[in-house]
Amino acid sequence: MKALVTGSGGFLGRHVVHALLGHGHAVRAVLRPASGDPPPEWKGRAEIVRADLRAPASEELFDGVDVLVHLAATMSGSAEAAFAGTVVSTEKLCETMLRTGSTRRVVLASSFSVYDWTAPKRALTEETPIEPKPYDRDGYAVMKIWQERVVRRLAAEQGWTLTVLRPGFIYGPAWPEVGGAGISLKKLFLVVSPFSSLPLTHVENCAQAFAVAAEKGLAGTFNIIDDESITAWRYAGKFLSHSGAIRIPVPYWLGLGVAYSAQCVSRILFPPSGGKLPAFLVPQRYRARFRPLEFPNRRAKETLGWSSKPFFDSARALT
Amino acid sequence: MESVCATTSCLFVDITENRRLWNALQPQLSAIGYGKIRAVSKKTGAVIQSAVIGAGQVATQHLACISRLPGVRLAAVCDLSRALAESAADRYGANAWYTDHTRMLSELKPDIVHITTPPSSHFRLAKDCLNADAHVFVEKPATARFEEFAELQLLAQTKRRLLIEDYNYLYNGPVRRLLDSVKAGELGAVVHVEALLCLNILDKTNPFSDPNLRHPALDLEGGAIADFLPHLASLVYFFGGKACSVRTVWEKRKVDSPLPYDEFRATVRMEHATATLLFSAHSQPDSFRLSVFGSRGRAVADIWENRLTRAWLRPVAKPLIPFYNALEEAKVLRRSAFKLLWQKLGSGPGTFEGLWVLTASLYDSLASGTPPLFSLEDTMEVNRLVHELKQERNRF
Repeated sequence: MKALVTGSGGFLGRHVVHALLGHGHAVRAVLRPASGDPPPEWKGRAEIVRADLRAPASEELFDGVDVLVHLAATMSGSAEAAFAGTVVSTEKLCETMLRTGSTRRVVLASSFSVYDWTAPKRALTEETPIEPKPYDRDGYAVMKIWQERVVRRLAAEQGWTLTVLRPGFIYGPAWPEVGGAGISLKKLFLVVSPFSSLPLTHVENCAQAFAVAAEKGLAGTFNIIDDESITAWRYAGKFLSHSGAIRIPVPYWLGLGVAYSAQCVSRILFPPSGGKLPAFLVPQRYRARFRPLEFPNRRAKETLGWSSKPFFDSARALT
Repeated sequence: MESVCATTSCLFVDITENRRLWNALQPQLSAIGYGKIRAVSKKTGAVIQSAVIGAGQVATQHLACISRLPGVRLAAVCDLSRALAESAADRYGANAWYTDHTRMLSELKPDIVHITTPPSSHFRLAKDCLNADAHVFVEKPATARFEEFAELQLLAQTKRRLLIEDYNYLYNGPVRRLLDSVKAGELGAVVHVEALLCLNILDKTNPFSDPNLRHPALDLEGGAIADFLPHLASLVYFFGGKACSVRTVWEKRKVDSPLPYDEFRATVRMEHATATLLFSAHSQPDSFRLSVFGSRGRAVADIWENRLTRAWLRPVAKPLIPFYNALEEAKVLRRSAFKLLWQKLGSGPGTFEGLWVLTASLYDSLASGTPPLFSLEDTMEVNRLVHELKQERNRF
């Protein structure tokens, strides 16, 4: 099998390329023109293509490709730049794939941020509805919702096999801080909902999920969450261990109350829709980051045959 | 002073007179501190059908403003990207979205079209819109080449349609107050005007210096700086009149950047004053200032920091003039610091406030049949000055 992997230079992308090579597959890895050199272990094993997906892609990109593993996203700049860099790029890439006609399978990296976090009662699953008011959330949720919409529409029209993977918070070396662990205030770290399990997946486990999904070619949507249960308090303790920051537990409902109060004050001061607030003081965003729920991973395990290894207590967890 | 007023008289229209428009924009503009609202009502007639071509970065400001204007229907958003067109239509409540502007023009026949695409496409799109009998509000630079603008001007005149280039910074609070100050004669006759823009477009996180994808503005003559020249040129034109002669310095100091030039200076002899236009990608922090030097005083409009400071010949004993000027400046600076903080917390259009004012007044002109804030001839003169500044680049 030959996989075309976009976003190969990113945190997850490097591990996905590594996982696919480890499974014995051929990989064409897309790196942006100015990104650094690929890891030395790719040499002679992965084909490197330099391209920025915001520009129309060459049809040669898909030569001999069986599956597109689409991870690329713009994570910096304004919300508009991120939308263009993620959604419009995805649209252009899919149009190129459509023109070539030879590749008919897509594995798309989506996110937990697409869900409506007010909807679930106890557990957030693949059946949880998509956020109905994306513009009340952040630019990341907007772009991920639209990216999924674009690919789903084309896949339905063209009869492509589409696998959508929605990882929780991806952690690992070089990316120790995850949004759900808490709020950093210099020397203080507010651990919200401290004794609830975080929806975490170690980057190596997550990469394995993409490799397995590319191999299996099953249509469907799968949440990717590790089996290992790690509370926010425990996670914060580990990743703050060298910083000297003090952990302060904050009950979920207390934080949500503060966010609603801040929003109310903001609306009084800046009627009718309120002013700008930090993300953790916007109730919709606070909820999507910290709401304590159960995060089952049954579907990914049973249908894809994916399994996760425990990493948190290993040396490869965060450093 | 009189001559300046003659050139720029249209700018002194008090756009806050229209209570209905003002009320609609109040939530966004209240924090900015616009002038006093006078209770003047105008019947604006039928609903204006508006459309936007290009749904990228700057379009969001146009869309946000149009979607809030009373008596205006956002009929459609058009973009080559279906996702961008559809999402913008969804977000701002447009009735339809298109990926083909000719189809949009023929099916919807909008009254006015905003063109917010990359500069090289402006000419073709504006021409199509004017030929479809739509008024055009085009982002700066209106066209990549002066000859193209001249052609559009003729077409707009023939079709009796408005062709407005976005000189939004003319309508930011400090510049409006500066115009009022000149109009009131507080600065005397305008002797010199200086427009200064310091912007770190060399940073790799800035779209102009993106190492992965070449910015479309880099294809303009003069590169990224040419993208800002309409702002600088419009500011000096509306205070100094037509340009008579220009001298420029274009420099590239950072060798390993994609920008053809990163420093620019120009000295312009104008009808009523002299002017200097400056752009610096190296000088920090970012700043955008317009200074007017008059026979009785001088004033500096800090456009992005939303303040106007003045020093003028007050009717007090001469030795005390600097003292009173310093007191006033200290007061303005103190107030400005708190206003900036308030502005950061609020949800207003920020430094795009002028775009909202210009857009609102343009629609008011369309509805009431009154002339827009500046004429096609004014736009032509600004474009002529921009052209001269770019041409001068090749002479040395």
